[in-house]
Amino acid sequence: MKPRIVAIDDEVEFVDILKNYFAPRGYEIDVAIRGAKGIEIVREKKPDVVLMDLKMPGIDGDEVLNLLKSMEPSPKVIFISAYDDGGKTKARLLRMGAYAYFDKPIASLRELEEAINKAANGSRTGA
Amino acid sequence: MAIYFSLLCYSMVWWLICYSAMYLSATPLRALSWARTGFIGVFFIPIFAYQFIINFLGVKYSNKILLLGFYTLSIPAIILSRTKYIYNDIVLHSWGYYPTAGRYYLVFLVMYGLLLSYVVWKVVEAAGKDALSDRMRQQLRYLCLAFGIGTLGIVDYLAKYPAIKVYPFGYVCAFLFISLIAYTIVRHQLMDIEVIIKKTLVFAGLLASVLAILVLPTLLFQEYLFRDASVGGRILGLTMGGIIIIFTMRKIEDFLINVTDKYLFQKRYDYKELLKTFTAEVLTVLHLDNLVNLTVDKLVDIVRISSCAVLLRDDEKEQFGIVASHGIKDKEITLFKLHDIVKFLEHTHGYVLMKDLKEKKIYIPPSVQEVIENLNAELVIPMLLHEKMIGMLSLGKKKSDEDYTQDDLDILLPLARTLAIAISNAELFEELGKAQAEAAQREKMAVIGTLSAGINHEICNPLGIARGQCEAFLLNVKDGLYKDKSQQELIQKAEEIMAKVIKETDRATAITKKLSSFAKPAKGEAELVDINKEMDEVFGLVGYELKLEKIEFDKQVSSSLSRILVDRKQFQEVLFNLMRNAGQAIGEKGKITVSAKEEKGRVIIDVQDTGSGIPQEKIKELFNPFFTTKEPGKGTGLGLFIVRQVVEKNGGKIYLKRTKVGEGTTFTIEFPAHLQKKEEKRSYETTDSRDRR
Repeated sequence: MKPRIVAIDDEVEFVDILKNYFAPRGYEIDVAIRGAKGIEIVREKKPDVVLMDLKMPGIDGDEVLNLLKSMEPSPKVIFISAYDDGGKTKARLLRMGAYAYFDKPIASLRELEEAINKAANGSRTGA
Repeated sequence: MAIYFSLLCYSMVWWLICYSAMYLSATPLRALSWARTGFIGVFFIPIFAYQFIINFLGVKYSNKILLLGFYTLSIPAIILSRTKYIYNDIVLHSWGYYPTAGRYYLVFLVMYGLLLSYVVWKVVEAAGKDALSDRMRQQLRYLCLAFGIGTLGIVDYLAKYPAIKVYPFGYVCAFLFISLIAYTIVRHQLMDIEVIIKKTLVFAGLLASVLAILVLPTLLFQEYLFRDASVGGRILGLTMGGIIIIFTMRKIEDFLINVTDKYLFQKRYDYKELLKTFTAEVLTVLHLDNLVNLTVDKLVDIVRISSCAVLLRDDEKEQFGIVASHGIKDKEITLFKLHDIVKFLEHTHGYVLMKDLKEKKIYIPPSVQEVIENLNAELVIPMLLHEKMIGMLSLGKKKSDEDYTQDDLDILLPLARTLAIAISNAELFEELGKAQAEAAQREKMAVIGTLSAGINHEICNPLGIARGQCEAFLLNVKDGLYKDKSQQELIQKAEEIMAKVIKETDRATAITKKLSSFAKPAKGEAELVDINKEMDEVFGLVGYELKLEKIEFDKQVSSSLSRILVDRKQFQEVLFNLMRNAGQAIGEKGKITVSAKEEKGRVIIDVQDTGSGIPQEKIKELFNPFFTTKEPGKGTGLGLFIVRQVVEKNGGKIYLKRTKVGEGTTFTIEFPAHLQKKEEKRSYETTDSRDRR
């Protein structure tokens, strides 16, 4: 079974790409363009992987990561962001338990897909 | 104009002399002959008066055919004047001989009447115009009076009809006419013949004094003291007179010059006025162009000189060039620093006074002679600043034809030094302005550098999305996910993707355009600017940065707001800096509200943040050049000092409206609303208020 994904990003166009790519491949993907709504969906759908932007209005990456980590079962979190402060934030988030960090724009959807699958499988094997 | 006036005078003199001879004639025949000769003068009086006035008023349209007609008429008039057709006969009245009108006399009466009334009408019409200088108005007032009285001279024509019994007092009118015009010339500079009048008056006075001095002692000696030794007494008297003349001549001349100056002309010029004008009006001007032009204007006006020029040093080209001038031949003169006159002034710190040089028979090199001629100069003074000659002041001859005196030099030399200081100030001020503009541009580029994160996102994101859409589509096709779709459906899908790609590339293009437009230096030209549009433009640049910091942005601008007349780029810079400052004051989380409204013809823009606020003790320093609350090394932006300079240069003002530590700050900028739009707007407002009711 393909992993369940929830994508949270305020950029409609980006979310649209994710849907266009993952839905036809049989992934169950839900999207949210607001942080709070996204959390709600995560609680409800209990996805394997959460894809999220780091900088969104009303959302703090660190807080959300901690929140998601505290969930049971906790989804794997992959950050996709254009935020660039020389890798500092990326390193911190990875240290805090984020599964992966992708720079926006995404260089390859295939790579993202692979990462999602690895994350989901990892979580399953881990579980 | 002077020619027509002199012709008018000649024709009057002709008439008056002939008529005087007529009155004095012993026989009627001779009297008639004089009267007929005098008619030639009479004939030309109205024609010349007409031409004089047309010329004075500068009337473009003058009836040439009419004039030609009158001049042609002069030939039969001169021929007929000897016959009975004009002056029929002569009659002996109680006051003397006077001719009677002949058959064709009426023609000339009509002509006289027509021309003179036309002239009076023209003068009255011109006097009624608004666009007249005070002097011209004064001149016209007197001309009205003069020609009014002159027209009364028609009585002379009428008196020639035996039926009309009137004393021909025309000569009185003529006398008053000439006197009034002469007075206008002298008192109100009707014609620029001051010098001639003055010299004539002085000369006449001198002649009278010399005669009096010669005659009085001679008479005294001859008639009373040495009545017997008639020749000896005369010689003694003449000798005495001669000696007195030798010793008093110069003093009398000076006295006469003084008297004519005092009563007929402004006394040379008022030193006090010169000083007052320069200290109060000229030397305080900070705009270089205005300063030098005002200097020339005021010097010409107050010292009453025919020409004047200010030459300034151009350090780069190592030469002096004219920056302001009046009445000089060659405005393009440049003097290299090795030019004789420059070297002379620079080394001596003295001055060149042509009269002095000529009197002392000092050799003037041809190069200097040429410059002096081109400048129309009589006096050239160096403008010295800390012993460096930054320019030259060239003054032409005085209109009064007087020489420059030591008194003049005593005031003009220090004036030139003071002027040098003022000019140097103005130059520094101009450089400061340039330096500020350059600093603004440099800062702007630096800020653009620090904006890179946001800009990068704004450009890369759309490109990334375009790429992602294409990639997803291609991979889907490759992976056979669209196998079950028909050709039609596939094309539709592709079309959707392409539309999205186009939209995204457009977005990327727009932001690069915004950025490059913002990076360009300001043109310094005012244009009508739509505030709402510029706010969006600027938000496009700072927006992402603000978003990164979780700063909300709110814009409250009424769509019917007036436009303002400013340099668009500079206005953007101002908004950009205020918005960015606001964002930096907030740090993380907060809100920036930019609002614009219109009040009493002014557009008021508030930039409000919910940031840290400005501590009381820092408020005073806000607009200081080096004030910043930011850590060193952080993109500091333009600083409020330069922001204020830019706002003021565009006719606006900026001030701190409100600030409280921990609550936030509001800065306000105000610009005059552009009026035309405002009127349109008013109608909107009325409809608005009606709607609200």
